[in-house]
Formats: sequence, C-alpha cells, structure tokens
Amino acid sequence: MDILYLLIPLSVVLVFMIMALFAWAIHSGQFDDLEREGERIFEGEAASLDPDQVKTPG
Amino acid sequence: MEQQETAPLSAVDDPQEQAGFTRFTQKVDGQREACSQLQLAGLYCSACAGVIESALQSVPGVHRASVNVSSARAEVTWDPERARPSSFIRAVREAGYDAAPDLAAPARELRTREARRGHWRLFVAGFSMMQVMMYATPAYVAGVGEIPADQLRLLQWASWLLTLPVLLFSAGPFFRGAWQSLKARHIGMDVPVVVGLTVAFVASSGATFEPGGIFGHEVYFDSVTMFVFLLLGGRSLEMRARHRAASVLEAAMARLPDRVERLNEAGEAEQVSPRQLRRGDRVRVQIGQAFPADGVVLDGQTRADEALLSGESMPVPKRSGDAVVAGSLNLGAPVIVRVDAVGLDTRHDAILAMMRDASTQRPASVLAADAVAGPFLWGVLLLSGGAALAWSFIDPSRAVWVAVSVLIVTCPCALSLATPSVLLSAAGALAKRGVLLQRLDALERLATVDTVVFDKTGTLTEDHLALQGVNIQPAATGREASEVLKLAASLGVWSTHPVSRALVATVDQQDDPHAQLPTAQWEAVNEQAGEGLEATDALGRVFRLGRRAWVLDGALPGEAADQGAANGVSTWFGLRGEPWAEISFTEALRSDAQAAVQALAQRGLQLAILSGDQPARVHAMGHRLGIIQASGGARPEDKLRALADRQSAGLRVLMVGDGLNDGPVLARADVSFAFAHGSRLSQLHSDAVLLSPRLMDVADALQLSHRARRVIRQNLAWSALYNLVCIPLALAGYMPPWAAGLGMACSSLLVVLNATRVGHLPAPAAQAQPPAGAGDLDVASTGAESGKAASHLAAPAST
Repeated sequence: MDILYLLIPLSVVLVFMIMALFAWAIHSGQFDDLEREGERIFEGEAASLDPDQVKTPG
Repeated sequence: MEQQETAPLSAVDDPQEQAGFTRFTQKVDGQREACSQLQLAGLYCSACAGVIESALQSVPGVHRASVNVSSARAEVTWDPERARPSSFIRAVREAGYDAAPDLAAPARELRTREARRGHWRLFVAGFSMMQVMMYATPAYVAGVGEIPADQLRLLQWASWLLTLPVLLFSAGPFFRGAWQSLKARHIGMDVPVVVGLTVAFVASSGATFEPGGIFGHEVYFDSVTMFVFLLLGGRSLEMRARHRAASVLEAAMARLPDRVERLNEAGEAEQVSPRQLRRGDRVRVQIGQAFPADGVVLDGQTRADEALLSGESMPVPKRSGDAVVAGSLNLGAPVIVRVDAVGLDTRHDAILAMMRDASTQRPASVLAADAVAGPFLWGVLLLSGGAALAWSFIDPSRAVWVAVSVLIVTCPCALSLATPSVLLSAAGALAKRGVLLQRLDALERLATVDTVVFDKTGTLTEDHLALQGVNIQPAATGREASEVLKLAASLGVWSTHPVSRALVATVDQQDDPHAQLPTAQWEAVNEQAGEGLEATDALGRVFRLGRRAWVLDGALPGEAADQGAANGVSTWFGLRGEPWAEISFTEALRSDAQAAVQALAQRGLQLAILSGDQPARVHAMGHRLGIIQASGGARPEDKLRALADRQSAGLRVLMVGDGLNDGPVLARADVSFAFAHGSRLSQLHSDAVLLSPRLMDVADALQLSHRARRVIRQNLAWSALYNLVCIPLALAGYMPPWAAGLGMACSSLLVVLNATRVGHLPAPAAQAQPPAGAGDLDVASTGAESGKAASHLAAPAST
C-alpha cells in the first residue's frame, strides 16, 4: 500500500487543478445562461464547422 | 415605441450617455475595446437571437455580439475607433427589432458578479467536501489498527489541506457576517456558525498535527466541509430567487430610457438624454411624459401625477412658478420646465434603490430568528463549556470532543434554514406564475388573511374598456359612425384619460395599423381636468370631447336623451354646444373573476368590493359576482377608513387593486396585491405584483401561503425535536462529533427537501384570452354554477 503515499498527494493536487478549471469556467460566464446553449441547435444559418462541408441539395 | 423610432439616435453616441451602458477596456496591445449592454424589444423566440446577433456582427467595427433571449438583452463588444452605438442600434432596427441602451446594466453586472462568486464558493465547498469525505471514509470503516498510523496521518493532512480553502474562502461570508454583527454589538445567526466552525477546525488541526495532544485523535474535517456546503447551498438558493425577482422587476420598470426635449437659447428643441441636463436648462415636457428632473414650471399649466413620490393619489395642479419633481408624470398639457436639480438619471436611481432594498431586506421571521440567536448562542456556549468542564473531571481525554459535539449538534443550521428555504421556494413558484413578491414575509402574512377587498376597475374588470356603441346625435345625421369615431379618436390621442385611451385603442384596432390618425389637424388643444378636451380644427371649428355637459356647453339637450350606459361609461364628442355622438364603453369582467371569487369564498374568506365608481354600478357588479359587501363612490380616504374599520375589528385584510387610486390603501392593508399594468406607485407599495391578467393567481397564492405555513411549522418542529433529542445525547458523551455532524447535515437536508415540496404549483387554468376589445363579455351569462374552474374558464371566450 505504499502507493498511497503518492496517490493521496496526487489527488490533492488534482482537486486543486479541477477547482482552477472550474474557476475559469464560472468566471468566463459559461454558467450564466444555461438555456441558450441548448437552444442553439435550433438556430439556422450557423457557419459550418468544417469548411469543406458541402450543403447537400434539397 | 413610435417615439423611440423617431428619436434621433445621435444622442446615444454622446460620451456621457455611453458611459451609462458601456464599459471601456484597454486590451493588451493597447487598443481600446468597448462593451455595451442593449435592451432589446420584439423578440419572440430563441431564433430571433441568431438574427440579431448576425445583424450586429455585420456592422463594421463590432467584434462580438451575444443575445440573451430570456432577458431580452444583448452584449456588444466593439471598437470605439470604428463603430458607434447608433450604428449597431440602427442595425438591430433594420433587422426588424428594437434596441435601446440598457441603463440598468451596471446593476445587473453587479448581480452577475455576485452570482458567479456565489457559485464559485459553493463549488469549492462542494468539491472539497466530496474529497474530504473520501479521505475520511477509511477511518470510519476500518477496525482499530487496520490502517497504519502514518497512512492515517497522511489522510488527515490531505483533509486538512482541502478544508483550508473551504474555511478561508467558501465560509468567508459567514465570518464576515459574524464580524459585522459583533461589531454592531449584536449576535446574529452567523456567530454560532462561526464558533462551531472555528472550534471544530482548531480541534481537528490540533489532532492532525499533534495526535494524542489536548485535542485528542478525532478529526472533523468532513463535518466542517459538509456544514459549509449545506449552508452555502441555502444561501445560493436565496440569491437566485432574489436575482430573478430583481431582474423581472427591472424589466418591468425600465423598458427603454427616456429622451428629453431641451430648448436652447433660440428656443429650438433638441432631443437629449436626461443625463445631459444641467441646472438652468429649459425642457419641454409633453403630456404623458415624466418630468426628467426637479424644476419649476416656466410656461404652461398642467396637472402632475406625483403618486410615485408622495403617495398623493390625485393629480396635483401645476401653474407657472410651481415646483415639479423628477419622476412625476405630466398629465395635463405640454409645459416648459426650468431644471433646478439633477441627480443621476432618476429611473436609473430608482432601479438601483429597489435592488438595494430587495437584496438587503430580510423577512420578519428571519429577523425573529436573529433575535433568538443571541440567547441561543449563550446557551450553547454555556452548555458546551459546562460539558467540557464536567467531562474534564470524569474523563479528561473526552472533554474536548464532547464540547465540540455539543457545538456541532446545536448548530442552528436547520433552524436558520427552516423558514427562509420555504419562503424562497414558495416565492420562486409564484414568480413562475407571474406573481412577484416584493417582500418575502408577505407570504406569512398572507396565510393569516381572512378578508379580501377588491378594487373594481382594472381589478375585477379588465384594464381596458371595450367599445359598446356609437350613438349618432341629430346634429350629425348623415355622417358615418366610423368617421365620427375616427375624428374623436384623433382628438383623444392628446389625452391620457382611460376613456380617451380606450377610444384610440378601439380605432387603432379597427383600421389597418398603418393608417395614421389625423392628429395633426388639431390646434390649440386644451384639456380641462374632469371635463374633457377642446381643440380647433383646420376650419376653425371648436370641437369638444368629454363629459356630456362639457360638449353641450349649456346648450339644451336634443331629443336623443342620454342613454346612460348601465354597465359602463360614455363620452361625448362634437362641436361645442352641438354634440355629434355619444360613444359608450363597457367594462369587461376579467374572464376568471367569477372562478377566483368562488375559490376565495370557498376558503371561507370574507369578500368585499371598495370602488370609487358609481354605487349602482358597483352593486350590480357585486351582485353578479355574489359579493354582498359592495360599496361604491368611495374616495381614497373613504377606502382607507373602510380598511381601518375592518382592521380595528380584528380582521386581516388582503387588498387587491390596480393601484391607480389605491396606493395609500394598498400600503395600509395587511397584504396587498396589484396588477402590473397599474401605476408604478402600486408596484412599489404593494407586497406582490401580478404580472398576468389572471385574478385566479390571488386564490392560488393564498393557497400556497397556507401550504408554506404548514411546511414552515413542520420544519421548525423537526429542528426543535432534533435539538431536544441530540443535545442530551451529546452531553452524555454518547454522540461522537462525526455522528453529530451527520445528524446536523441530515436534519438540514431534510428541512431543505421539505421546503421544495412547496415549490410546485399547478399550471394556470387553461384560459383562452378574449381578443382585446371583443365587445361585451358578460361572464354572468356563462353560468355561475360551474364548480370546476378550468372547464368554466374555457367557456367564456367562445360565447
């Protein structure tokens, strides 16, 4: 069980990293308006993600 | 809206004006970037957002644009060198919508920041709690000696490290609150919380770094983090409800900012924003406009509605030399005002003040909880101190943890959540239905109400009048009724009187919307308070619109007698002394008035109508609805007296009004509801605002308040029982701190979950809205015997 001496400190570091990640996400406004993102799929005329993508006729 | 279309856009490009809705930032490469907040109008669905975004982004110089449909707002990031606010507002208008600078933006930004910070605290506490519990689990499940001592120490150190951010950052608001209440020499709920947290953390830290020392072996990091997380969870629910209420109110209050007509030296008018006004400026204020600043009337004679500011419900006559106050409405005639004092933009200020109130006011029950917190805290401290002392004689090694157990187990977490969580959950449910509570404790008072008093006009009836008929008089024989109506409406445009507005609205609906009323032909328009309008047309003929006696002007009435609309009001129109037509309107009952009145009566409530309208009409209405106590002809002071009489008889009164003349009465009632279309006074002075036209919401809110009261009592009973059972156990040393923490958390969770039960309201009864101005809508004819509200309500519109 010596591996615990590595894993537990590692988990602490990981927790702090995840917290930092969420700090960035929260403060960049990703959780400000949760409804809009889900509705985005209904909006037409979005630029296609893949520039090579060709619109199929019909 | 029409005025906005024509208002010159250049005013928004003024730097001073821009500062109200735009934030400038310096980018890394030294370039300036501006971020503007716009208020949008005309959005129907989320697809509109995409259209507006692309319209905004096609403007040269606009970097980014994002539209939020639910709040109808847009944020535009643009280059101050290449773009102007007017250019992208124009782009939105060309796309078929409307936009205006959003002056409430700073307040909202404050809210966003608060919300983000709250989420961040909650997340840190929650995530740390999760991890600390994982570290704590081995110690709970393993038998004695199964885990090597150094590994146990490692787990404790890790827990300690993760508890630090929770205590130092997430629990910050509690420490700050406790510090502030101590500074004010007053003990609030935060103080016991902070003492418990500190003692548990210090004892655990001692046990971690000096095992077997005076603090023993036990660590309570899991209890500490869970405790903070649960408390923060409650606070963040509270914050969300508060923010939602504030933003809805804001939208209702500040649709679009005002423009002011400022007169320069030469007497020419220019459109400016109220922010640009300076002392000594002269402004022209049109009928129906709000005065933009405090000042003195220089020219003209008018009446001002100062209800919002002084509670004076009747319009105040203003002559040249009289003082007017910012925010009051000009009702009589266009006047020129000298500006004497300018604050910040008044409407902006009002919003800010309201938001401050909404965020700082605390329900009475929470204040009561704060009041008992003082003795409670001393009791807890004495108990735990006594326990530590007693145990130091019996078994010194257990003294500290018994004291900590007592502190944790008595933690008033559940007690402090019991009431607010229920109130907030109920307020949220009501907000979804379009009932905004201005004061949370109104809900508790609502549950004790035993009398409901209704205003008539605009409350039991729709707020608009419906055209009943045009009775052409002999003097106008041969003229088309619609032509006369149109002419009358073109004069009615000049007045803000409800009947004039109804007249204009009727004509607008009949014609195609693009046809303009020939309003420009009138000259020397003059409104005489309580009488009517007078104006001269292009041919020099004097027309009058208003009361019968005003139009007749002393002339003998013709054979066509006053038909007198029994159910409504009528206005007369014609040449002075030569009436052309009697135009009669009828008041339409709200389509769910009958059902709402029945629902309230079934709850055993006393119902009454208090109206300023003619007694005969009020009695007829009362008879129709089955309300026996119907008194009409009541002036505001009569209404106040009637209310005070009931209150001194020991009745608790709920007043439902539309607020036009009801401001002081609403303020006097135990609980007051107002429809949102009413004047702003009622919005400010009533406890709740009804955004929907449904009267049934009043009955539903009442029902909800009873349910909320029941759940609050359950919660309080539960937390009292929990403390009664657990404190003796902890004192006797039967409850280790982890069990105390678990019990505390579970009881808090139970209280919060119980509170969410209140948050479910049935969907509003399916109600087909009658088309506006659909003529006489006599609810009485649809039958009063129907017991089921839904089936009853579905009927009237189709008849």
